[in-house]
Order: sequence, then C-alpha cells, then structure tokens
Amino acid sequence: MIRRVLSQPTGRIAVGILSVIALLAIFGSVLAPQNPLTTSPAQLAPISASHWLGTDYLGRDTFSRLLAGSRASIVGAVEVAVIALFVGAIPGVLSVYLGRVFEWATLRLIDTLISLPFLLVAVAVTALLGNGITQALLVVGVLLAPAFYRVSRAASLSVASSQYVEAAQISGASPAWVVRRHVWSKVLPPIAVTMAYTVGAGFVVVSSLSFLGIGVEPPAATWGGLLSSDLSYLAYQPWAPVAPAVLIVVTVWACNLLADAIRDVSGQAGRAFSNRRPKRRRPLALPQGGA
Amino acid sequence: MAFAAGRETGSTVAARPVAGALLSVRDVHIRDRGTDREIVHGISFDLAPGKAVGIVGESGSGKTLTCRAVLGILPDQLVVSAGSITLGGRDLATLSVKQWTEIRGSTISAVFQDPASYLNPSIPVGPQIAEVIRVKKKVGRREARDRVLELLRSVRLRGPESVYGQYAYELSGGMLQRVLIAAAIAADPKVLIADEATTALDVTVQAEILDLLAELRERTGLALVVVAHDLAVVAQVCDEVLVIREGDVVEHGTTEDVLYRPQHEYTQLLIAEHEQYGLERFLDAPREERA
Amino acid sequence: MSARNVLEVEDLEVHYGLGRRRRRVLDGVSLSVANGEAVGLIGETGSGKTTLARAVLGLVPFSAGRVVIDGQDVSQAKARQWRALRRRGVVQYVFQDPLRSLDPDLTAGQSIVEPLLIQGISSGEADARARAFLDRVRLDPELLGRLPGELSGGQRQRVAVARALVTEPKLIMLDEPVSALDSANRVQVMEILKGLRQAGVGLVFISHDLGSVAGLTDRIAVLYQGELVEVGPTRKIINAPQHVYTRLLIDSAPTLRSAAAKRAEREQLRALLNA
Repeated sequence: MIRRVLSQPTGRIAVGILSVIALLAIFGSVLAPQNPLTTSPAQLAPISASHWLGTDYLGRDTFSRLLAGSRASIVGAVEVAVIALFVGAIPGVLSVYLGRVFEWATLRLIDTLISLPFLLVAVAVTALLGNGITQALLVVGVLLAPAFYRVSRAASLSVASSQYVEAAQISGASPAWVVRRHVWSKVLPPIAVTMAYTVGAGFVVVSSLSFLGIGVEPPAATWGGLLSSDLSYLAYQPWAPVAPAVLIVVTVWACNLLADAIRDVSGQAGRAFSNRRPKRRRPLALPQGGA
Repeated sequence: MAFAAGRETGSTVAARPVAGALLSVRDVHIRDRGTDREIVHGISFDLAPGKAVGIVGESGSGKTLTCRAVLGILPDQLVVSAGSITLGGRDLATLSVKQWTEIRGSTISAVFQDPASYLNPSIPVGPQIAEVIRVKKKVGRREARDRVLELLRSVRLRGPESVYGQYAYELSGGMLQRVLIAAAIAADPKVLIADEATTALDVTVQAEILDLLAELRERTGLALVVVAHDLAVVAQVCDEVLVIREGDVVEHGTTEDVLYRPQHEYTQLLIAEHEQYGLERFLDAPREERA
Repeated sequence: MSARNVLEVEDLEVHYGLGRRRRRVLDGVSLSVANGEAVGLIGETGSGKTTLARAVLGLVPFSAGRVVIDGQDVSQAKARQWRALRRRGVVQYVFQDPLRSLDPDLTAGQSIVEPLLIQGISSGEADARARAFLDRVRLDPELLGRLPGELSGGQRQRVAVARALVTEPKLIMLDEPVSALDSANRVQVMEILKGLRQAGVGLVFISHDLGSVAGLTDRIAVLYQGELVEVGPTRKIINAPQHVYTRLLIDSAPTLRSAAAKRAEREQLRALLNA
C-alpha cells in the first residue's frame, strides 16, 4: 500500500512534508542553533544571521523555540490519534459481533460523543482534572474516537454479511482465518485514512488547546503556545507568531493530503458512515399476498 | 435530448409508413456521437393497433436503444442518425419537449426491468400511480384513487386497497411489475413497450406477466412491443418477431415463420439452444395429445 | 457404486423470526441425494429452496429434523464439528452471484485455492492441485492473476465453480448456476456441469426455472411455500406432473412453440393454487 500511495503525486508531496515534520519532532531540540529558553536583551529582533526568524518579546530565538516545540506538538497529535484509534476501532469492530445490546449501547455512546463540542469539553475536563497535557490528550483522543468507530464498524459490517466470508466458512474456515484473510484487508485502508485525518485534526486541537494555555505550561514551547504568546507582538515581530501558524497549517494540510492519497488508492471512499444493521443470516424475504 | 437535436444526415429514402400503423419505425440508424460509431444499422417495423411485435437480442445488440429512441429518451451522445419514427402519424423527430411530455404516457408508455428502481421507496405505491392519473387526466384526488384501484384490479392484483398503501419494499417482484404496468397504462396509451420486463422474474411470475400483457392486448386493443433476450418469451406474446444481433436485424417475420422457417443462422442457433437445453426436449408429446 | 446417500434430509423444519413474527420457512422437507446423482430443487422466490441449501450446509439452524451428510449426522453439530466436517471438503456450494461470493481483494487464483489452504495444504501443493481443475471449467490460467472485477460474468462463475471443485467434494450445491448469464456463457457452463455429472459428483441444482436444469438432472424436487410438493424422475415430473404447482411450473416454462396455447390452462392452475 505504501508503494501505491507514493506512486501518486499527492502521496509523494504529503509523505515528503510529513517526513520533514517527523524529523523535526525527533531531532528538533538537537538541531536548534540556540537554547530556546535563553532570554536576551535583543527583543523582537528582525531576521538575522544568528536569529533565522528573529527573536520574540523576551529575546529568545524564535527558530529554536519552533524546533524545540515541534516534538511536543507532533507527539501530542499522534498520541491523540492513537488513543482515538483504540477507543474507537475496537468497539467498532466488536459491535458487529457482540450482539444487539452492545451494538446499541456503543452506538448511543458514540452519538453522544459526536454531539459534544471539542474545545469546550477539553477545557472543561482539564479544569476538572487539572491542567496537564496527558489529561487534555486523553480527552481529545476520546472525542475524536467516533470517526474510527464508524469506519471500522462499516468495514466490519460489510464483511460480516458478505458471501465470500460464507464461502470461506463453507470450506471450513475458522473465524481467525476469516479475519486474517478477508477482514483485515477491508478494515485497514479506511482506518489508515481516518488515522491520517485524525492526526491532522489532533494537531489542530492540541495547538488550539496550547494556544488557550491548556496543556504544556510556558515557558516550554509548543506551536500553539508560541502562537498565543507572541500574537500580541504581531505588529512588531511577525515571524514569531506567523511561523508556528504556518507550520500548523502546512502539517495539517499534509495530513489531509496523505489521507486523500490513501483513500484514492484503496478505493474505499465514502463508505465510512453507516449505521446499518448487519443482515444476520435470514432466509430470503417472503412475498406478501399473491405474487 | 437526441430527438430535439434532430438527425445528422438528411432523411434517407424510405418507404412511407404503412397506413393504419400506430407506430412506424423506418430504417432507423442510431449513432454514438462520442465514439462516432453506428450502433443500430437500420431497423424497421410497423405496429398496428392491437398487434404485438417482439424484438429478440443479446445485451448490447441495440434492442434497448431502439426502445429508447421510440420513447425519446436516448442518452445525450446517441442520436437517430438516419430513418424515421412515426407515432400516430407524427414524426417524432419534429416534436418539441412539450409535445413529447404530452404523448408519453398517453400515447406511448413503457415498463422496464427492475421495477423497484422506478418507484419512490419512501411513498406508498398507490399515490405514485395516482400522480400519473392526476397529471395526465387532470382529475381530483378522490377520483384518481378510484381509478388507481380499478387499474390495480385490471392488472390482477389481489387486495388492491391494501396494495395501494404498501411501499415498494413490501411487494414482490411480480407485484411490483404489475404496479408499474398499472402506472404505464393509467393514461390509456395506445402502445406499451415492455423492455426486458420479465427478465428478472421467476419463471412462474414471468408467465403471469406475459399472460397479463396478452390479456390487456385482447381486452383493450393495446399494441405491444416486447423486448427480450429469450426468443420463447417473445414468441409467447407476439405476432411478429425481429431478431437483432449487434445492431443488425437478422430475421424479421411472423412468429410462425421465424419459429418454423428461420432464415438466418443466428435465429437457428437460438432455436437450437432452446431445443437442446430447454424443456422442449423432455416433453414427450404435444400437450394437447395427452389426456 | 456405494449404496449410501451423500445427503439425507429428514423432516426438516426451519423457522425464522421470534414470538409473534415467527414463520415457518421449511416445513417437514425430506430429500435424499445418492452418490453421483443430480437433483434439481425447483421453487420460486420465497419457496425455501435457498434456505434448504443453507440449512444443509450449516449456515442456518433448523428447528426440527435430521440432516446426514456422507453418513455423518450433523443435526446436533456445533461449530467445531461443522468446521471439521467442512474441512473434509465433502460438500461445496456455488453461490448465485459470483460478484458477491468472490472476495474483491483476492485474485481468482487466490480464491480458488482458499479451500485447500484452509485444509492446511501448503500453498505450492494447493496451487498444483487447483490447476488440475482449470480445464474442467475451461478457465485460461492467465486469468488467475486477475481480480473478480476484472473478469467477465461468465469467467467469474467459472472461478466460483473451480473453487467448489478443488477439494473434490462428493456433493456440490449450485444456486441458479446459469440464471445471470447470457446465452453464450450459459451454454458453456451447462457443458461444464454436464462434465461434472459424468465425473460422478453428486449435484443439487437450485433454480426457479425447471427448464434451465432439466437437461442436467436425474430427479426433480419441487418446493412450494416451504413444502416439498412433488419429487420424481425428471422425465416423469415434466410429462406427468401431479401437483397443481408442478403443473403450473411446467406450463409456465417458456417453450418456443407451445407456451401461448397454454394460457388458459395456466389461468386455471393459478386459480386452483390461490383457492
């Protein structure tokens, strides 16, 4: 699948950009030319050789802060997506096999989650649980789970009621065989697509949260945090807030592009949202009255 | 719409329509403007009131396109490139959109394969037929309903009152096709085209629908065009048969001539297949001779 | 030749629905298929013919009756026993619509060898065995690498038949094997099925159209509204049908020359049935 994604120009662009971002996450703080925390009297300095993006209102090197903040932002977004994956996909698949009660219960739970507004809930929960990044990520992860639930449920539904699974069963296939050979290939692509979208969404939410001051405490840097703290000085030193904003936009855009590319090559577009009940093996519908 | 756009070449020299014929198809050629390929290479037949003409051919032979041309519903890129179609004395090429709307349903009507897809699934079937009547005959709601019940009776549906209020999904294939026939004859057309109308039905149900068409023909003088891929289906109902293969009419004659004295080898092949794989092989003696 | 029947069904009852909506789909159906025999199971939509096949295969539970497959009573079998029986490869099934019964993400070759792989046979061996069946279904080996979406309807059907053959079953059930095919493909598949008959495989054809399978069957069983209304040798059923529905079935089959004439008779039989 990776090969096919790379064969698309959108896939190449997306992977290219995201690889750079990933490198930033890993090597960010090492690559920073200056210590991001060191203040200096050169406040709001413009771009120069020693300060590639100038300095912020405390004289700290913007570029270094950006690099240092990469890890927190990126790791945060990925963590959120992973939490959403587990909280969403597992009940999604199980809802098809564990009976009507479980199905109903999870569907209603997911419907409730969808109706909650992200940021308000994240803010409220962190207010309750204390201002820590872990709590915030957990909450956001759970809030983003419904997409995974729906996607994995839809894929499982279509496989569960399919005739090719029955054909395998007629030949004596065990449930494990069916999952390995038939279910996996149908569930993986839509999950991969949703993962890419969710990482992008996770980025936006985490950045928004840190913009609002929730999560990572200053002076530690995150992109959202940088954006918020330097926004007031926009007129004097635009690079400080603009740079993280641009990075956020580009990263999210690349995530969405990647999701599109995966979706295009796996031909699973548009099948994500369905609350259809699986056709348990009933005989054919009988005609009413005379035929 | 293909007809309103007119023909591409000048009218070919063709015999004048037979007097008294309801529908006259004269040397009609149909061309695909997109690929610039001719698909139907000259088909002609006349239909007098109360008569039935059958067209037999495989999928892709052009039989359905001919029906669509007669109904004025050819896809945009297909045109009648030569020949003429006359209905009730009027040349269909000269009709405006308004005139077409007028004659559809009241002069000529049609039923197709897969009846369910021609009905709105969220409205009961009765009101859908009533709508046809109210639009075409300009009568009020109550009278329309009465006429619908009458129509449902005339297509031999049992319990017309309850069928009136049922939804498409509650009715079997055979019942749905009857409902559509009822809708098709609601405005008392003179010609009914049945394009593969029984292809998807069980054999007993198919016989019912074919018998119904024969009965309608006898009772009301309705003229029929029956299109099928099975020669026996056409032979059951029609007086005259055309066999079409890849756009060419390879056989044209009375049913008796075609069945007992087929000229073209393709017709002979169709007959041979029936005799080899059909029920004929097992019937020891003609039914009349058995006690 | 073994006197044992490859399939025995006794007084089978299948219900569907719960409580007030409980309906009997199959009512006391008894049928047996001898080794190497070809039986046609004829009935209209809703008659229960597909349910019967699914009950025999263990896909649908039955509420009463007995099913014996190749000497093994499966009436009380649980999932594990079913799997063990199925892995013996004794019974196979060809679905009506190969577009749905073939995994769209697996190539034709992968679908065909699947039953063998499930049995635990190594992939090389399975491949070799499967290839032996290709010319029985007139399938070009070069098509094996294609996905179902890249094959024609007739080719797909033949892939489905090949898949049913690879475990060398004693009984194959085929649901409407030729209904969805056009004339040319129909003839080809009929020829393939004839070949199977000659090879001594037990066959059950499920169809709504008597005429399409009459040429292949030794016996015909007619199912109407969940009941087996008539069973007998093919020729006898066609020429001397007893039950009203059987007679209607015969009269309804589109024959070239006699169909129009039987209209009055069909109307009479319908009136009798609906009374």
